[in-house]
Amino acid sequence: MKVFVTGMGCISSLGNTPDELYASLRGQSSASQFYPEWQKLNGLHAHLGAPAHSYDVKSLPRTVRRTMSRMSEMASLATLQALQQAQLTLTPSSRTLLILGSTTGSPETMQAYFKLMEDRGGPEGQVSTSFFKIMNHSVAANVGAALQFKGPYLSPSTACSTSSQAMILGWELLQTGLYDCVIAGGADEMSPLTSAIFDIVFAASRKFNETPQQSPRPFDQERDGLVVSEGAGVVVLETEDHMLKRKTRALAELAGGAYVADCSHMSQSHKEAMLITMNEALNRAKLPVHSVDYVNAHATGTMQGDIEEAQAIGAIFGSQVPISSLKGHMGHSLAACGALEAIACIKMMEMAEIIPTKNLHKIDPFCGGAMLLKEGPPLKQKVTTVMSNNFAFGGMNTSFVLKTV
Amino acid sequence: MTEKEIVAKINDVLCTGFELDSALLKPEARLKEDLQLDSLDAVDMLVYLEENFKIQVEGERLTEIKVLGDVYKLVTDVLLSTKADTQLSENI
Repeated sequence: MKVFVTGMGCISSLGNTPDELYASLRGQSSASQFYPEWQKLNGLHAHLGAPAHSYDVKSLPRTVRRTMSRMSEMASLATLQALQQAQLTLTPSSRTLLILGSTTGSPETMQAYFKLMEDRGGPEGQVSTSFFKIMNHSVAANVGAALQFKGPYLSPSTACSTSSQAMILGWELLQTGLYDCVIAGGADEMSPLTSAIFDIVFAASRKFNETPQQSPRPFDQERDGLVVSEGAGVVVLETEDHMLKRKTRALAELAGGAYVADCSHMSQSHKEAMLITMNEALNRAKLPVHSVDYVNAHATGTMQGDIEEAQAIGAIFGSQVPISSLKGHMGHSLAACGALEAIACIKMMEMAEIIPTKNLHKIDPFCGGAMLLKEGPPLKQKVTTVMSNNFAFGGMNTSFVLKTV
Repeated sequence: MTEKEIVAKINDVLCTGFELDSALLKPEARLKEDLQLDSLDAVDMLVYLEENFKIQVEGERLTEIKVLGDVYKLVTDVLLSTKADTQLSENI
């Protein structure tokens, strides 16, 4: 059964609509900023972040906002955008499924919650609404509340592959015929705590405090780690029948996807697992390798991850298929990145061009063998089929295939 | 603290905590119907009042509250009984 993307929405470090985001990518913008206040945190060496553009959430009623942290606010606004573009009005139905997740509940709220608990020696002074910001399914529940949704929802959580997994899970579940429509995506909010998670394992950028916009540097010889970001990316997925019945325009086809875990190591990604995942995505999409004319890499700018991915992509696609990562522009928005990158890929297909990797000047020889596009203006080229990768701590690997319609 | 000051402070806490228009804050205003404060808000209102007035209110007393005037009365009662307890213990 064919599945189509009929709506997209985002809040991101480079713009708060898909068009704004794409314009910033085309303009080779960088979202990285130096956070001097993070220097005061003992043991934190990574002081760069890529914050989302400011947004206004006052359009949502207070009773809905009161249980939302920033990740749910951003996800709600992104979902409303996506539904508007899809011209989809939700009615109570068990055939429309919401799949939204995040890496964790709100880190900022968790920190405040447990600090108060420690300071007071118990729950004294805690408000009831805090828990709804830190529970694991906070984003799905709060977006549901914003939509006054009456139907099924799921809340997958696989850190940096959360939203790509949500999309692939949506694709799978639409194949069953049990659903007509899936609203899929993910969101995360930035905090020094998220930077610390990567800093502790030497995976966050530390050397570019004076020149934040020069980091992260996916595939580049001078890369020194990722830059944490935040945001929300949401897409509306529909079966062909449902879309045709509604006479809605498809933006792209989600041809297939796969998520395959390699639990041999919690934090280190392996090219063999990436290969298996990309091949399985192609199998499920029923597409040959040579049909792919662009690979959107996960590449966050870490030493090992970029090498493993470049080699895996090179092993499948050779040196003739252009590859880029958008993390050099946007930073790493964790649970949001898969859907945000899907949105950017769909815009690339629409514009018949490819956005090269920002801050990639000198390709790391260990990343050789694949056609990595260095920083520069968009490469004008027809793009009909895109492979997009996202990998995550916990051994999760995801790949999905988008096609023009 | 005078009764007027107590009322002003409660109104201020409610305006800040629940984004309420101060013009709506009249003793006869019904919490649910007029101020759109539901059960979660009622729980949080108690926490805000306890924090701001440095008082302890038994959760069961929430059932006494129907209109805003009940909130004024509850806080005033608790403040008075706290004061009485303090004086009693000082006398002992």
